[in-house]
Amino acid sequence: MDHFPTNWGRPRNDAFDAYGTHPIHQRPYNGPKDAFADGVQHTQQPIVTGTSVLAIKYKDGIMMAADNLASYGSLARFKDVQRLCPVGQYTVIGAGGDMSDFQYIQHIMEELTIDENSAQDGHELGPVEIHEYMSQVMYARRSKMDPLWNSLIIGGFKDGKRFLSYVDLLGTTYSASTLATGYGSYIAQPLLRKAVEGYEDILTEEDARKVLENSMRVLFYRDARSLNKYQIATITSAGVNISDSLHLETSWSFAEGIRGYGAQTQ
Amino acid sequence: MTSIGTGYDLSASTYSPDGRIFQVEYANKAVENSGTAIGLRVKDGVVLAVEKLVHSKLLVPGANRRIQTIDRHIGLATAGLLADGRSISNRARDEGASIRSTFHEQATVKAISQRLGMFAQAYTLYSSVRPFGISTIIGGVDKNGPSLYIIEPSGVCLGYHGAAVGKGRQLAKTELEKLKLSELSTREAVMEAARIIYLVHDDNKEKEFELEMSWIGSETNNLHVPVPSDLLKEAETKAKDALENFE
Amino acid sequence: MPDMAALAHPQQRQFNPYSENGGTILAIAGADFSVIAGDTRQSEGYSIQTRYAPKVFRLTDRAVLAVNGFAADGNMFVKKVKQRLEWYRHAHAKDMPLRAIARLIQTMLYARRFFPYYVYNILGGIEEDGTGAVYSFDPVGSYEREACRAAGAASSLVQPFLDNQIYFKNQRPAAGTSHPAHLPLPTVLSIVIDSFTSATERHIEVGDGLEMYVVLAKGRTLQGLEGIRGMQELTATEDGERVFIVRRDLKRD
Repeated sequence: MDHFPTNWGRPRNDAFDAYGTHPIHQRPYNGPKDAFADGVQHTQQPIVTGTSVLAIKYKDGIMMAADNLASYGSLARFKDVQRLCPVGQYTVIGAGGDMSDFQYIQHIMEELTIDENSAQDGHELGPVEIHEYMSQVMYARRSKMDPLWNSLIIGGFKDGKRFLSYVDLLGTTYSASTLATGYGSYIAQPLLRKAVEGYEDILTEEDARKVLENSMRVLFYRDARSLNKYQIATITSAGVNISDSLHLETSWSFAEGIRGYGAQTQ
Repeated sequence: MTSIGTGYDLSASTYSPDGRIFQVEYANKAVENSGTAIGLRVKDGVVLAVEKLVHSKLLVPGANRRIQTIDRHIGLATAGLLADGRSISNRARDEGASIRSTFHEQATVKAISQRLGMFAQAYTLYSSVRPFGISTIIGGVDKNGPSLYIIEPSGVCLGYHGAAVGKGRQLAKTELEKLKLSELSTREAVMEAARIIYLVHDDNKEKEFELEMSWIGSETNNLHVPVPSDLLKEAETKAKDALENFE
Repeated sequence: MPDMAALAHPQQRQFNPYSENGGTILAIAGADFSVIAGDTRQSEGYSIQTRYAPKVFRLTDRAVLAVNGFAADGNMFVKKVKQRLEWYRHAHAKDMPLRAIARLIQTMLYARRFFPYYVYNILGGIEEDGTGAVYSFDPVGSYEREACRAAGAASSLVQPFLDNQIYFKNQRPAAGTSHPAHLPLPTVLSIVIDSFTSATERHIEVGDGLEMYVVLAKGRTLQGLEGIRGMQELTATEDGERVFIVRRDLKRD
């Protein structure tokens, strides 16, 4: 019920008093206020970023790889960052994109796993549940125009089943036997597909490790935002294992003979 | 029960002339009616055990748990009104999560216990609420090692080596005092805890009970988990044997 | 050297909440059946994200929904439609009729008129009167019932083909004959398969796999489905409408 008779029986227009009934009442607003309404800023761009994450299916489960670099624009800012993180007993999340958003995601996951564990109801979160949860979070944030600026790969192994799936800042999801984010989707994905598609149940751990190591090397050669220090995660029936930092062997001697790389010769 | 009929027991916000708050004392009565709960703080961990009285044969075994997980490394056992126990453990979880998100580290058992104390104490101040009808034993292993606290309906929060609340607390305390708690291993403490619960259980008054036990220690990677069923069974068998020799 | 003149002015950059994930969907209604199909490739730009991401979903025993456009919106939309249909089942102890689902989809799409689901929907199935039906929607909910419709990346390739083959546009019947009002099932299936193989040839965002759902009216025989390779029934009983799925490979290049 509108208690201001001047508003009755005609369309409301706060800006213009068509009927000349001065003064127009400016009614006080007593509803909930957001003190920062004018000042809220949403993420417009990533700041400190991680580059590619790679992941493949193999005989025993899932193998994932990501380097240890977090860049600040073109500056190689942090060189000991872990971009593969275990969630619960059966899952690993690998993240590219904004590293502060990824840390926030890790906090969410920590809280989620503690809550689930505290329930002690005999249910455990597997990769399927964690991927669905993260998809909903990522899609909800993009719908608020306040995205978490990441590309995530979620890999896992539970109840004898492999799981490998992707979700990004738009909430876009997909599964495949090989996945790669960022620059890796252009450079590494074709190599991974060639090595893995059709051999998912044949590839041994050793084979899989070789494929990923080689792809990481190619990425280090070609991606200016990458590092020759990386980690590999395996998720199998034995559980989650994330390696210590590994060093990529690279060879640059071939450059000697190339005009424009080595000492200039006629 | 001299308090009855005086009118001073109708509200938690009114003292009696001799300086007592009867509602809090009645809350303690609610605790005394409940099956015993004990906690042992030992060399490398904490064990919680509860004598869960089964008031109906229709209940599913394992239903109505009285030991709850608060955080990865903290557990809590209550004696008193079951629903109040759930309420306090939800509050404890929130406090744990809040400490974790503020300081980005695991909450200490002490910090959570003191916050729970403040929480329980707030319910002794107002006429519109009733104090918690539970005593809470909270235990865990944190950066300071194993710790064990009791929160009473009054809001009092104190640390212990061994704790006992509920019906059989007197006998349980005597038994706990006989133990060299600081020298026991967590595994040994599981055996002792089971023995004490079986000992304090009064066969004549209550027929059925379930032994509910959890532990936190080096053997569990400092995680609060139920005692594994085989170990629980072993502890129960030993407890029953000890009971026969005791008498 | 960056364009300093441009940099001197205030700049606004905005997060773009949409993407376009390629692929094509299509549905054709017969007299007493309906065929709803889509390819399974999901892409962004020149990259194939996956070779198998379904775009066609069975909603009830007589309704199938194909969704194409921005995949994240599409999956969310299907999820919400399925949820509404489940609530309907709980409330009324029956499946929602096709035309009601069509109107529901309109309302749900229009509810997001000012932040639309960036998806083209095609709903196919059997009406309460036993006729095959296809409903097509634009992203904000405007819809109509049609005999056939193609949508998505290769719609501009497929729709004219359907106009010619289904509606007989630009065709004159032989003297003394007329065009049939409805085509038989085997003809429709061939047209669908041909549409997708052709779209795969000419459009880079179409390929990898084809999923065709066939919905048959209550009491209709399997006539026209005999010997179809890789067919699988999805319904449990024979006494209502029946849903079948046919999977085919498409070229992966």
